[in-house]
Amino acid sequence: MIFNASKISKSYGTLAALSEVDLICQQGEICGLIGANGAGKSTLFRIILGLIKQDSGSVEIQSSSPKPIGGIIEKPALYEYLNARENIKVFSEIQGIKVSAKTFNELMQEVGLSPDRKDAVKNYSLGMKQRLGLAVALLNNPDCLVLDEPFSGLDPMGIYSFHNLIKKLSRENKITVLISSHIVGELADLCDTLYVLSKGRIIKSGFSGEIYNSSVSSYKLVGENFPDMRELAAMHPIKIQGGYLVQISRKEITGLLETLINRGTRITACVPQSDLKVLFEDKT
Amino acid sequence: MMKGVIRVELFKILRQSKTLYALVAIFIIEGFVLVSAYYQGTEIIDLLLANLKDTFEFKGDLLNGNLIIYMILNSLWFHIPLILMIIVSGFLTSEYKDRTIEAVLLQPVSKTKFIGSKYLVSSLFTLLVVFLLAISTFGISYLVFGKGDLVVYLNGLNFYPTEEAFWRLASAFAVGTLSMLFFSLVSLTFAVLFKDATKTWIVSAIFLVCTNLLLKIDFDNSILNRFFYSKLIDSWQYYFYYEIPYEKIYINMSVLFLYCVFVSIAGIIVFKKRDLLP
Repeated sequence: MIFNASKISKSYGTLAALSEVDLICQQGEICGLIGANGAGKSTLFRIILGLIKQDSGSVEIQSSSPKPIGGIIEKPALYEYLNARENIKVFSEIQGIKVSAKTFNELMQEVGLSPDRKDAVKNYSLGMKQRLGLAVALLNNPDCLVLDEPFSGLDPMGIYSFHNLIKKLSRENKITVLISSHIVGELADLCDTLYVLSKGRIIKSGFSGEIYNSSVSSYKLVGENFPDMRELAAMHPIKIQGGYLVQISRKEITGLLETLINRGTRITACVPQSDLKVLFEDKT
Repeated sequence: MMKGVIRVELFKILRQSKTLYALVAIFIIEGFVLVSAYYQGTEIIDLLLANLKDTFEFKGDLLNGNLIIYMILNSLWFHIPLILMIIVSGFLTSEYKDRTIEAVLLQPVSKTKFIGSKYLVSSLFTLLVVFLLAISTFGISYLVFGKGDLVVYLNGLNFYPTEEAFWRLASAFAVGTLSMLFFSLVSLTFAVLFKDATKTWIVSAIFLVCTNLLLKIDFDNSILNRFFYSKLIDSWQYYFYYEIPYEKIYINMSVLFLYCVFVSIAGIIVFKKRDLLP
């Protein structure tokens, strides 16, 4: 265990933003935090990053690095009138480290940015700013990264590439990543473990696949030669481009696929669809 | 590491275009005074001395560099502190607006070091601005208008020979710098309290106006009348009394310096204690 947030509570006046939240991450693990707007994700991340103080509870990070934890809260905040090199210079000097030209080039390559770009950061796309923000977060080699909504505002290509970058950092550099996102499927695919936060409380936690699958209540079937779907009325099939969306449980999907294939349907994709209502349902 | 934080703050100030705007704004004010003095100065002097000219004979040109320097020096009442307050508070409010303050505090740097360096660099910036104003004022005024005796209207007309005028004006600039420093530090503390640039500017402007009004008000209390902050900001004016009250100036400066320290420490404590909310 590298990171342990224990019994974290925080209130704003009479509003309890977080109540007794526990969260544990192992080294090199990607830990996801899912929650609706106002669930308390950003408050929890701000507490973990030391930007706000919790009313009670503790945050423990086992690290010998001078900077145990780095992060980005929502959109990356950079000095827009400075270029990438100057931003890195500013953020490294305030923590007492010198970044040589070689280190700067390596850092830029690691996050997928060109080290030769000299113009101000205000000209960068959001995806590029996210990458530079990540480079700033990685300065001084933190053991743990906290990324709050890093996919927000990125196009699908940007999401794909940032997803791979985070995975690479975790797998190759053994950096523990704590990440939140509204894109549940993306998070389920990226993370090893998931925590579901609702109204300031952790209501579910466990392996990412298990948590995600428990919320799957429909599947998107894409293919050709679908039979008359009226026979499957109980599954409430909805016609979509190239196939159907059917409401069916995990146990029943295998049987349905067999039936369709036996009837000559060519299934090219079967994509589970998470039901957010089920995911955020508090059964405790 | 504190050195690094200060170096970075200086670097950011130098790279921000608003620093240049501040300096340009100050030199525009200086330019206005110079141009208006050049074209209308003689008429004003004649009007001011109309009665005296019937009784006394005046030799030389009273519209000279020393009078122009005194006129520009009077921008320390309102124009210069207002510009300084806007710029200095902007050093922090812009960090709140762009959320770079979050990015900075996500690095292993203490809140005290960060905000302490802001106060220190703001002080250096203020000293530099007043120094540049003084140097350019003396240089341009003597170059364009030449030297001469200084006439000042302060509880009546006072005349000072040219050599005496120079050191009185230079001393007034030096003492006035502390008043400018006080206003700059107050504006930075307002920025800590209000975070938003517009709110901070409005409060700073109101503070400046109220300070100038409070200077003239009698509190009916000897301690307040002597040591309330608004009674200390005009010490530079004492250099235009025939008998300069040095002791009063030194005491005023010492107490105003303590006010500067108090305002800075208050800002640092508030900043340190407050959560960094979005």
